[in-house]
Amino acid sequence: MTTATIIQSLASGLLMGLLYGLIAVGLALIFGLMDVTNFAHGEFLMLAMYISFFLFAFFAIDPLLAAPLVAAAMFVFGAVIYLVVVRFAMRAKTNIGMVQIFTTFGLAILMRGLAQYFFTPDYRSITQSWLGGKTISLGGVFLPVPQLVGALVSIAAFGALYFFIKKTDFGRALEATREDAGAVALVGIDKNKVFALGWGLGGALVGLAGAIMAMFFYIYPDVGASFALIAYVTVALGGFGSVFGAFAGGIIVGLVEASTALLLPPSLKSVGIYAVYLLVVFIRPRGLFGSI
Amino acid sequence: MTINRRNVVLGGAAVAALLPLAARAQTSEVVIGVIYPLSGASAQIGVDAQKAFATAAELINEKHDFDLPLARGEGLPGLGGAKVRLVFADHQADPQKGRAEAERLITQEKVCAIVGTYQSSVAVTVSQICERYSIPFISADNSSPSLHRRGLKFYFRAAPHDEMFSTAMFDFFDAQKKKGQKIETLALFHEDTIFGTDSSNAQLKLAADRGYKVVADIKYRANSPSLTAEVQQLKAADADVLMPSSYTTDGILLIKTMGELGYKAKNIVAQDAGFSEKALYDAVGDKIPGVISRGSFSLDLAAKRPMVGKINDMYKAKSGKDFNDYSSRQFMGLIVMADAINRAKSTDGDKIREALVATDMPGEQTIMPWARVKFDEMGQNNFADPVLLQYNGGKFVTIAPPQAAVAEAIWPMP
Repeated sequence: MTTATIIQSLASGLLMGLLYGLIAVGLALIFGLMDVTNFAHGEFLMLAMYISFFLFAFFAIDPLLAAPLVAAAMFVFGAVIYLVVVRFAMRAKTNIGMVQIFTTFGLAILMRGLAQYFFTPDYRSITQSWLGGKTISLGGVFLPVPQLVGALVSIAAFGALYFFIKKTDFGRALEATREDAGAVALVGIDKNKVFALGWGLGGALVGLAGAIMAMFFYIYPDVGASFALIAYVTVALGGFGSVFGAFAGGIIVGLVEASTALLLPPSLKSVGIYAVYLLVVFIRPRGLFGSI
Repeated sequence: MTINRRNVVLGGAAVAALLPLAARAQTSEVVIGVIYPLSGASAQIGVDAQKAFATAAELINEKHDFDLPLARGEGLPGLGGAKVRLVFADHQADPQKGRAEAERLITQEKVCAIVGTYQSSVAVTVSQICERYSIPFISADNSSPSLHRRGLKFYFRAAPHDEMFSTAMFDFFDAQKKKGQKIETLALFHEDTIFGTDSSNAQLKLAADRGYKVVADIKYRANSPSLTAEVQQLKAADADVLMPSSYTTDGILLIKTMGELGYKAKNIVAQDAGFSEKALYDAVGDKIPGVISRGSFSLDLAAKRPMVGKINDMYKAKSGKDFNDYSSRQFMGLIVMADAINRAKSTDGDKIREALVATDMPGEQTIMPWARVKFDEMGQNNFADPVLLQYNGGKFVTIAPPQAAVAEAIWPMP
């Protein structure tokens, strides 16, 4: 094992980790806001990737340019899903946790089924894009440009999100609703509006991730599944509800995955992730940065 | 008695309930179960497979002038012209779902035979269920060699398995070496279910027997979100030939990741699967000109045997794609099974099994480059000669074995 191999592994792990963080943050945000785990999160990612693909296929819009459009479309989609589906699930009188799980899980299956019906199960990919397939080589370490840009977008998105939550009125309303939804109603904040915007924001963030991933990953109706699993681990690791935790959790998952693959056979590389996850669950059940 | 609305509704319901019975009594039919991944990560394979089986059923049920068993008549003459009806089931690439679906096909749908399954791991459980119920099972497109060595009486495979395929690859390497090419080291890259494992075991053994050095033997988890670590090891090994045994998703990601990490394999000789799928070449075909994959089908055969081209056209009208290694084997799977049922003149499992054992179909009456279809005592057809295909200029060209080749191999890969 040479130094270059180790640096390459860690660099790839870091890039992938930042992307994992961006994929997971929407999940963390929604959970933190209203204690709902969105089991259709992977399908949100799938939809975002398909939107990027169709924007490219029909309008020849490069995924990089399309990213804001995809984020906007996914913002609307997230808000609509809250208003049309989740809002009603939250009204359940008994067993509200179960109702929410089944609702979002059902949504996931429905979205997958519709995607297979309308988009066909064929594997798609964007073959020609500005960044796709390009690589920077630094002293024997290769950094694929799409992932590099993805990492930068992820850092920028987290920065903007931090600013948004801490410095804007709406961000404060978001935080306040999360702490005490009953009390905010008394001061005239419409809970439903805040929740809808929270879902929209969550959708927009995963939309951004989907547009980046469309540059280098294949797209098919089930593509969300393996990334969603990592997103749940990332959120649990970083701490449920903590936006910064998702960022840190993503980086940890990326680095642990890369270093496990250095030490163990590659087929066991996810073992490292789950081992760290278990460790956190035992030692600090609320996650590294969790506040609940 | 006045007929009120309720009577009409009840009467209608009763008639509707009886209709299927009446229909069944009039046109006798033979029900065959077809079990494939119709949803999930490999849904694309299953959806294409449905079209291949539908093409075969159409040939059997309608009149066509092809020198193929059952094509010239309508239905199965041995059963009074009974039509073949297919019942599709979805196993989602999950061996446990496969087991449950096979059981449902047999007990609820009353199928008299089953054909499947794409994933070898699912064929393991499906064939066990078939054995328990004495229902014949044909592995249309499973290639794991261990499948036919489990002592099952109702298991049959008309197509080659991965030892035969791998032998063809090593014969090809030996021939290239004789011509003065340098092939010393090999890198194996395979997924972690029975398909990848059996394939790599066969290749490891052949490499040891024939004096090739395996410098990397990398097993990876199927449908991984990233293959960076795996590709790094392949790059470090930089073998003379990279030999992947990968399904479509991982195949695409492998080639993309190789590009990202600046690794260009000297040569790639693939164990089919993803490397015979159009989706892979649409996505990354431009990065791997000259890649070689094993196969059991070649459209080149249409030049010698015109019906191959015509049947391909029928399939293409349904699916929008040419026959590939999978759809062609699926097609033949149903033809071989229907031919046996026809000769058995019965839908009884044991009688169909006897007919399958007695199968002797000349290669000219198939759409494959096989010598014949004839099963050994383990249910394997050893007369199915594999071919090697090279991807060149957007299409596949047969380059080995010599008797089937239509062009010289371009070696090393450009």
